[in-house]
Formats: sequence, structure tokens, C-alpha cells
Amino acid sequence: MTIEPTELEKAVLLKVSGRMDAENAHEFEQACEQWITRGAKHLIADLGGLQYVSSMGLRSFLSVAQKLQSASGSLILCRLNGLPRQVFELTRLIGLFPVFDSEQQAIAAL
Amino acid sequence: MDPAARRLTLPARVESVAVFRDFVRSGAVAAEVPAEELEKLDLVLEEILMNIARYAYVPGTGAAEVAVAADGPGRVSVEIADWGNAFNPLEVEPPDFSRGLAERPIGGLGVFLIRSLVSSIDYRREADRNILSFGFPGPG
Repeated sequence: MTIEPTELEKAVLLKVSGRMDAENAHEFEQACEQWITRGAKHLIADLGGLQYVSSMGLRSFLSVAQKLQSASGSLILCRLNGLPRQVFELTRLIGLFPVFDSEQQAIAAL
Repeated sequence: MDPAARRLTLPARVESVAVFRDFVRSGAVAAEVPAEELEKLDLVLEEILMNIARYAYVPGTGAAEVAVAADGPGRVSVEIADWGNAFNPLEVEPPDFSRGLAERPIGGLGVFLIRSLVSSIDYRREADRNILSFGFPGPG
């Protein structure tokens, strides 16, 4: 899994690619927490390059979103496709996150 | 389980998941499971192995054994055994989907995913072993 961050005006965009599994899901959570500590209120996860996510990854998404929500921020997802989308749908997490088809739409929503 | 099934035993740790994954994938490819199903198979396997690593043993101890056999055209049956505490993951309560983000519990999603992606699943306790067997691919 790779995570490429870009600082935007109102949010930090994290481009997540590869496989998020039991071995590395904590890396995503840590990356998000570092941005939250540095004052980021909204994080946009671009999942267009994410091929795979297991329940350990879902746990990280939930935990980050709960932290941001309690600080009046949000975790926004975009370009959720393929198996990761199916996993979010099966576990009905899809309704708990704002999900957009593109980065532009996610940014415009802020 | 088919006596011709291939078997692999490794420590029940997160570091073993990738080795088990490659082992089960090679069995699935030999059984002509469609390529687009293989990541779902990885997912079922990871969820089961992580449950064993976390709940069957004191974390970091114990072993898991995985067996894989062809089960008709494009299908496999997989059996995963451990020697840990009796634990039937099929008795885990389903997640409470009615809760909003702030109250949504973080656990319980793994077993739900497993059930959603297999065609059949069965647990049995045999002597000192937990044995979970499933058929793959599932319906969707």
C-alpha cells in the first residue's frame, strides 16, 4: 500500500493505492492521525488505486472517521470502486461516509 | 476433506497470512477459479486467519493449518484448523447496522464478510482442534 498526501486549501488529500490488509492498515490510520495532529479537519481519501481492503482496513476508516467527526471534521471518500466498494457496501459502511465519484466533487462539497 | 488436498501449517501470526494466501491462490488457480474471484478468496482467508491469531491463542503463539482442494469446475473447498481455544466464529453476533458513525462498533465485520463471500461454511470442534471449512466462490 502507498499513501501520497497533498495539502489542499480546506483538506488533505490522501491518495491510497494497493492493498490495505491486516499487516498494513495501521499505516493508513497513523498517516491520518499525523494530519489530524497537525490540524487537518477534513481528510479526503482517494481510493481509485485501492485494490483490496479487509476488515482491519475498515476498522481504520471507521476509527479515523469517528475521530474527525468528534472534532467537527470529516473523512470523505472518493473513487471507491471494485472489491473495496463491494466490501463497503456489504458491511453497509457506505452510508456512513460521504462518497464521491471524483476528487473535484469531494473538494467542492467542503 | 479430499485426501488429495494440499496442506500447509504455519505459525498463526499476521506475517503468515501472505504465505497462506499464495498457497491457497495456487490451489484455486489449479482448480480454475476465475481470476476476478481471487481477491475475494484472499479476503475470506485473511479474516479467518486473523480471528485465529487474535482469539484462538495467546497472540503470537500457536499454529494454523490450511488445506485446499478442487471441488468441481472453478470451485475450491478450503479447510482451516487450529489447536487453540474452542471458538466458533459463526456464533459471533452480526454487526448492528442501525447505528450511525459515532456509535458504529468497530468489530464484527470480518465474520460478516466471510459469510457474504462463501457458498457454504461449517464449523466443527474435533478433539483439540477448531476446524472451519468453506466452499468458494460464493453466489455474488
